Amino acid sequence: MANVVGSSVCRTAVDEGKPADWVPGGEKQTVVDPMKMFHELPREKQFITGSEAARESMRRANIDIAIAYPITPQSESMQQAGYLYDEGYIKEYYRAEEEIGTFSAISGASRAGVRSLTATSGPGLMRGLEAVSSWPGARTPIIMLNMCRVINTPLAIQPDNIEMSFLLNTGILMLHAENQQDFYDYPLAAIMASEQVDVTLPAVVSTDGFFVTHARGPVSITPEEYKLPPRDGWRSAVPAMDNENPPARLSRDAPIQKSNFISYHMHSSWQQEVFAAVERSAKYFRAYLGGLVEVVNPGAEDFIIASGCAVSQAREAVRQEGEKGRTVGLVKIKTIRPFPTEEIFEAVKGAKRILVPEFNQAGWLHKEVCSVLYGRTTGVIKNGPRVYGGMTMPTEMILEWLADFRKEVK
Amino acid sequence: MSLETLRPSPAFKDVLPVEYKDLVDHGPYNNRNGKDSQSVKVTDMGKFKEVIEEHPMCAGCAMTLFIRLVYIGMPNPEHSIVVGTAGCGRLAISQASVPFVYGNYGDTNAVASGLKRGLEVRFPNQKKDVVVMAGDGGLIDIGFQGLMHSWFRHEKFTTIMLDNEVYGNTGGQESGMTNQGKVLKMAPRGKFGEKIDAMGLAKVAGVDYIARLAPTNPARVARTVRRAIMVAREVGSSFIQAYTSCNIEYSIPTPDVMKDAFEIEKERYGFEEIISPAAKEYLDDVEKKAKKKKSDK
Amino acid sequence: MLIQDNLILTRSDPTGNGGTQFIYRVKDYGLAAVSRPQEEIAMIHWEVEIVKFSGENTTSFEICHTTELATKTLKFYTDKSLNEFLEKSFQYFEELGSLEKMLPQEP
Repeated sequence: MANVVGSSVCRTAVDEGKPADWVPGGEKQTVVDPMKMFHELPREKQFITGSEAARESMRRANIDIAIAYPITPQSESMQQAGYLYDEGYIKEYYRAEEEIGTFSAISGASRAGVRSLTATSGPGLMRGLEAVSSWPGARTPIIMLNMCRVINTPLAIQPDNIEMSFLLNTGILMLHAENQQDFYDYPLAAIMASEQVDVTLPAVVSTDGFFVTHARGPVSITPEEYKLPPRDGWRSAVPAMDNENPPARLSRDAPIQKSNFISYHMHSSWQQEVFAAVERSAKYFRAYLGGLVEVVNPGAEDFIIASGCAVSQAREAVRQEGEKGRTVGLVKIKTIRPFPTEEIFEAVKGAKRILVPEFNQAGWLHKEVCSVLYGRTTGVIKNGPRVYGGMTMPTEMILEWLADFRKEVK
Repeated sequence: MSLETLRPSPAFKDVLPVEYKDLVDHGPYNNRNGKDSQSVKVTDMGKFKEVIEEHPMCAGCAMTLFIRLVYIGMPNPEHSIVVGTAGCGRLAISQASVPFVYGNYGDTNAVASGLKRGLEVRFPNQKKDVVVMAGDGGLIDIGFQGLMHSWFRHEKFTTIMLDNEVYGNTGGQESGMTNQGKVLKMAPRGKFGEKIDAMGLAKVAGVDYIARLAPTNPARVARTVRRAIMVAREVGSSFIQAYTSCNIEYSIPTPDVMKDAFEIEKERYGFEEIISPAAKEYLDDVEKKAKKKKSDK
Repeated sequence: MLIQDNLILTRSDPTGNGGTQFIYRVKDYGLAAVSRPQEEIAMIHWEVEIVKFSGENTTSFEICHTTELATKTLKFYTDKSLNEFLEKSFQYFEELGSLEKMLPQEP
């Protein structure tokens, strides 16, 4: 039985109240091929909250260590991670001092070569951003669940995904979960992609807080007796900090010790490699998620491009338009990094009108979409609709924007 | 890493780098004749291959001597990982043949917490020693929260503070460990507060092994490091606060660096150990066994 | 899970307040049940409206507070209690539908 760290004497699970014949839950599970888990295992439909979906995902993810600091609305999920630790599905777990401590500690754990999970929400992500933005350069596979909320003053805890824009250029893999189902599926896919040798990068699965985490939705889940293969600490683009490699200068984190021309060269090639690895991850996400995008009504003249919660509202708008005999297309973007440039272009190349509904003030997705379609299509890309600060986006809002758009662009 | 892994294959030996061969043939990775920890002696310095030799530190830097001694004091450098942060120390530490995690500002003790726990999960049958070696500013100022909380959690790794009482690498600004009244950059009218009582904080947090020293007695430095690492391996947190003067920012003439160390040691930096009962019991046990082995021979 | 019989639509709550809406239809009557996000997860519940349809579209309905089943928005705290209510209401709507057909048609 593993020793429990964090006390001045060696403690075991028995010391913490487990019976002598206790078998950790994780040891009763069977490892299954990821592709089989994602596409072949039977699934049972449940009606659960996003936090519960995250718990069931973590239960099957073969996680070695989970570290987090509580923040609304993330805390619900990381409490659940605590129960999983207690049941023996996660091997190590602790509540850290705050987010810089959390994200630094989880990077230490990943450097040890074990599967490491953390989670946060808006302001917490902002607090620990220095640590988070250093993960890709350190080539540390880490899975972070991010339950988005308002980050700016005045304080609010409602959904607003502006915080995702701060991650766009860090070299982190980014997925955006639409609903509870995605919040179950995406972390599992993200873990497997992030640990591939030619990727070796952290991954963040974001979802819009409350609407997903604190609400119930239908989720089809695989049997709990199956789990993902463990992280193999030896399979990695850079060696783990375990001193299991022949002695060498292993200062992986700082090829640059002083500012000089050679170090600039090294740093720039290091960065190029990080961003190339992001692109290389696309093939794994295509296999695991069945594509980086989901396209509804290909070939339509009107298209909505969205990610996260905005997809759900867009879906309903598309459906209602369909009942009225009008075809509206929808591109759901699953992976923000790698960004599905070609998939988006292929889907909307014939569109006349493109709406990009978002839950943030800056319109970061609109900017991303414009940057990949610029000069390649003749469609007009509308700058909205947008809600933020916790405001809601009724289906009607999208329908009104569509109606106005049709009048504007014939 | 097993020392067997480190033994060069005879067939390839002549094509391996000389540094590598020396570590195995004439260094801490050599055949230990059945001993489970390194047998190099401080008194033999210069006669064996050290895990750190080349470095870009300033001439006469006391910190460099101290860092060399730390590596000699490590019982099992082949199973050790050092965690550091920005500062003078990392310029030397990153040149050692022991993996070095160069993290962000002030993140050392958080990184080490995760690293140590991760290593325990991954290598349940092999103890891995994690050692944080960072400056006074990196630990007591920007890293304060992580430092204290790693102690409150009794994380099982060693923290070594390279206390040069100044931000040396940044260019000579006062730090929390600077003495009151000292005029340095960003303290044009003299340092406002007192030097922070890091040992007192460690005591309050329940650190199991606490030591303060200056690098005046090399054998004692190595022994103290060894004790701190052994306690962290089996009992709880350990902490060493070491006076490692900055001869540049404090304008100590290079030939007088050791003289300064002796003076400061006498004045306010005397050797002191604070050992918890659990750590004492453990160390007595380990050291008695070591003595017995010696006398058996 | 809720009963799947007579379920004509599952969708993200169109008000934009988050949550999932289930729409059931039996003849011209039905139920719209929504489970919305709650800051306190234990407070998650069902809000149920009896609705009357005016056409074939899934969204062509209005809230109906004039049946014997309910004169206001109903709240259910468990799936089980809502399922029991659903079964009863399906039966009621069947009968109501048959009765309404027997009424003389207004010119």
